Amino acid sequence: MTDRSGQAGLLPGTLDLLILKAVSLGRLHGYGVLLRIEQISGGALHIQQGALYPALYRLEHQGLLAAEWGTSEHNRRAKFYRLTAAGRRRFGEETASWRRLAEAMARSLAATPQEV
Amino acid sequence: MPHGLIARARSVWRAVRRRAEFEADMQAEFRFHQESRAADLVRAGLPPAAAARQARLEFGDAETHKDDAREARGLRRFDQLRVSWLDVRLGFRMLRRYPGLAVVGGLAFALAVAAGAAGFEMMTQLAYPTLPLPGGERIVALRAWDAAAGRGERRLAHEFAGWRGALRTVEELGAYRTVGRNLVVPGGEVAAVPVAEISASAFRVAAVPPLVGRALVPADERPDASPVLVIGHDVWRTRFGADPGVVGRTVRLDGAPHTVVGVMPEGFAFPLSHAWWAPLRLSASGYAPGDGPTLELFGRLAPGATLGAARAELAALGRRAAAEHPDARAHVRPEVVPFAESIYTKPLGLAIRAELAAANVPAVLFLVLVCGNVAMLTFARAATREGELVVRTVLGASRGRIVTQLFAEALVLGGVAAVLGLAAVGAGLRPFLLAAAGPSDRMAFWIDGRLSPPTVLYAAALTVFGAAVAGVVPALKVTRGLTARLRAASAGGGGPRFGGVWTAVIVCQVAVTVGFPVFAWSAWRESTYYRSAAATVPAGEYLTARLAMDRADVSAASGDTAAAGARFRAARAELARRLAAEPAVRRLTHASALPLTSHPWRRVEVAGAAPPATEPAALPRVGEARVADNFFAVFGAPVLAGRGFHAGDLAADARVVVVNRSFVRDVLGGRNPVGRRVRYSAGQEVPGDGPPGGRPPVPRPGPWYEIVGVVPDLGVKADGDPRRAAGMYHPAAPDADELTHLAVHVRGDAAAFAQRLRALAAAADPALRLDAVLPMDEAQVADLRTLGYVVRLLVAAGVLALTLSLAGLYAVASFTVARRTREIGIRVALGADARRLAAAVVRRPLTQVAAGALLGCGVLAVLGHAGSEFLAGLSARDALAVAAYAAVLVATCLLACLVPARRALAVQPTEALRGDG
Repeated sequence: MTDRSGQAGLLPGTLDLLILKAVSLGRLHGYGVLLRIEQISGGALHIQQGALYPALYRLEHQGLLAAEWGTSEHNRRAKFYRLTAAGRRRFGEETASWRRLAEAMARSLAATPQEV
Repeated sequence: MPHGLIARARSVWRAVRRRAEFEADMQAEFRFHQESRAADLVRAGLPPAAAARQARLEFGDAETHKDDAREARGLRRFDQLRVSWLDVRLGFRMLRRYPGLAVVGGLAFALAVAAGAAGFEMMTQLAYPTLPLPGGERIVALRAWDAAAGRGERRLAHEFAGWRGALRTVEELGAYRTVGRNLVVPGGEVAAVPVAEISASAFRVAAVPPLVGRALVPADERPDASPVLVIGHDVWRTRFGADPGVVGRTVRLDGAPHTVVGVMPEGFAFPLSHAWWAPLRLSASGYAPGDGPTLELFGRLAPGATLGAARAELAALGRRAAAEHPDARAHVRPEVVPFAESIYTKPLGLAIRAELAAANVPAVLFLVLVCGNVAMLTFARAATREGELVVRTVLGASRGRIVTQLFAEALVLGGVAAVLGLAAVGAGLRPFLLAAAGPSDRMAFWIDGRLSPPTVLYAAALTVFGAAVAGVVPALKVTRGLTARLRAASAGGGGPRFGGVWTAVIVCQVAVTVGFPVFAWSAWRESTYYRSAAATVPAGEYLTARLAMDRADVSAASGDTAAAGARFRAARAELARRLAAEPAVRRLTHASALPLTSHPWRRVEVAGAAPPATEPAALPRVGEARVADNFFAVFGAPVLAGRGFHAGDLAADARVVVVNRSFVRDVLGGRNPVGRRVRYSAGQEVPGDGPPGGRPPVPRPGPWYEIVGVVPDLGVKADGDPRRAAGMYHPAAPDADELTHLAVHVRGDAAAFAQRLRALAAAADPALRLDAVLPMDEAQVADLRTLGYVVRLLVAAGVLALTLSLAGLYAVASFTVARRTREIGIRVALGADARRLAAAVVRRPLTQVAAGALLGCGVLAVLGHAGSEFLAGLSARDALAVAAYAAVLVATCLLACLVPARRALAVQPTEALRGDG
């Protein structure tokens, strides 16, 4: 799971996790995924917009997302993504793994000379 | 993770299957994104035009994202390997642009696919035979194996009666035997035909209704029923003019009138290859075990019964019979086999199947060799197209893409060739089988040589495999390091080279080229032998026939054998008497085997010669015949030494033989034969009726015979092999049972006398049957025709191999010159010797051809030493001829290098340097 956004601050692999998170909150089309990530990150994370789609296609290819065509809020035809069972499972694993990593990083970075 | 794999495979498959839809969806999705974003920006206050531009900028390069998305769906790799219409069209264009490669490579490819397909078809038909009848897989044959005698027990009349009532797992049990009968259709000629005397149940087992009239019914089997006959479609057309009113017509079989009651539909030939069916009438009083006529039994598995259950039930019946009749049935084991497999004496197991499958290996090897050669030509062509390939690489074509394109080109060539090859097999295999089997010895009807769908699939697989060898291998070689060369383009030199693989291909090719003509020549020599043997006697003046008489009534008691023999001898004598009275007949004679036909052979030892060989197989083998005392005189064969036969030689203790010239040469080494003694060695079967291998070998050597005379070679073919021409003649009394063949020396055309001969025989005794009534020079026409096929096939393969070799060598030499133009130019500029330059060009091809010729000669020598049947009889002089041919081959191949060598010498230094820039 490589991240092709090239955006500084977005660690490799995190785009996939963010997409899974966004979609786990409800069925979304591609542009909606972008908006949702900006919204839940409080605008802190910026994603190069086109790069979202290869990631979405990859997750669909892996069977973690399912896609179907539907109608958007403005009554336009749009492709909606939702989590599959495998996607939900993977999302749980990745979240737990990310938390462990983040805690370890936080602990490591908070270390003081006295603790060494 | 299997789930992930399945999901990925499904995802790729969906995208591939609906490729256009996938692309359109992606386009729509991107547009939706950008328009939604623009709408949001407009709401935020931007003018629409600026909003749209801003949305496009934020989205980034859509084409790059599309590419990434395709890769994410696993389509990129697929796109590279996909053979497109364009590739196929390009392939056809290549065929037109390089017609030489197309014709040579295509013909070779077609021959290889044809050989592979024909082999595979025969393999499947023989190894996995199926009956083309409704429910044919449930039709079984029942037979018995005599373990003590080591042969099949076919006198099963006793068992037939018992099993008919007892068997639960097999229903409609029936039996048949094939008998020869003289057929007379009113207004037609006399003809000997094989008739199946068969149980009426056969037509229920085969489950094919008659086309006209009715099939046989059980009532026909009653001894008092009027004799009836069912006929096949072919004979209905040829002998009855497809008369729709044929039912009710009367024909005579061995003089007895039979009423035609039905015609079977086209293609029906159950049980084996039959076209005449008469009811089988067995004795009502029954038979003792091992008595009665020989019978083949068949039936259909009862509903729900398996082959295993039938085997178990029959084995139990066999054990009971062994207990009840220990003298006749103690060692007889009954067995059930699928009917289609009953053509094999032994159960059709893994061993036979493996052997049949192994027969396809040479065809596949041949294909590999051919494709290797086409690969070499493709490689040379691809190397000359390097410029084009470089340009395509620069324009972004990946290596996979270029390999795919070359594969597609080879596939087009192979596809066209495979269609040709399959068409040839489809049209030729059946006639070949018919010609090879001969009219009297037809193959079982389900071995028909028709192409089946699996064979077409197999040929398709062969084609793809061949195209992979001929297209992908050279493509990989030529594209290897293409980008690296691209970077160093200005440096010159380098480039693809002919490596070890191509050397091996050429060497093998040349070796094969040496071998094929030798085999072809050997086969041709065999056919000339047939012709030259025919020339020793004016064979066209002799009409020959085999005399036979099948007992009319199988229900007669077995004690009548002697009576039947007496009737045969009387009929033969009566026919001879009537013939002698014919004005067209000069003379006639009888023998157990006639000149130019196959004689039974046995190994002999000569008294006082070298000590008896320890290895019986090392003893010379000779063909033997029993002949009437006028035999040599009738064939105009002078006695060359000693004397011919006279009446005194028939005494039981006389034991004299006459030998032919080949016997003196091959067995006695040219020494004076008269007065020497000779005998049949121990440990071999005594020839007789039926297939070899079924009779126990004689433990002791035969009695000594004294050689009293020598005659010229009259065309003894021991074991059907014309090169084994040593022959030995025994005298036979005029009433001897062995004198089964008749030769009539006629005035004028022998063939024209055939009808008269049949009429005389029918008048002498309606049951006296004449098989194979032929002028003597036609007796071996079938042999010659088969041999002709073989010779033509071998010559074609040899010419093709030679052409391929020459084309390959030419390609290599041209390639070398093209590659080394710069080097040669510089050497010319430096004043290099022309001869050395030419040598530099031809050295490599020359080495390869010489190695190939040596390899070919070596393999032939090993085969000849191992006593290969085909090469038997190749003398030292022949070996010299092979060596000379190999030398000519090397010289011819050098000619193929001549044009490139001249081109090399014509290279101007300036041209070389300019070409490099």
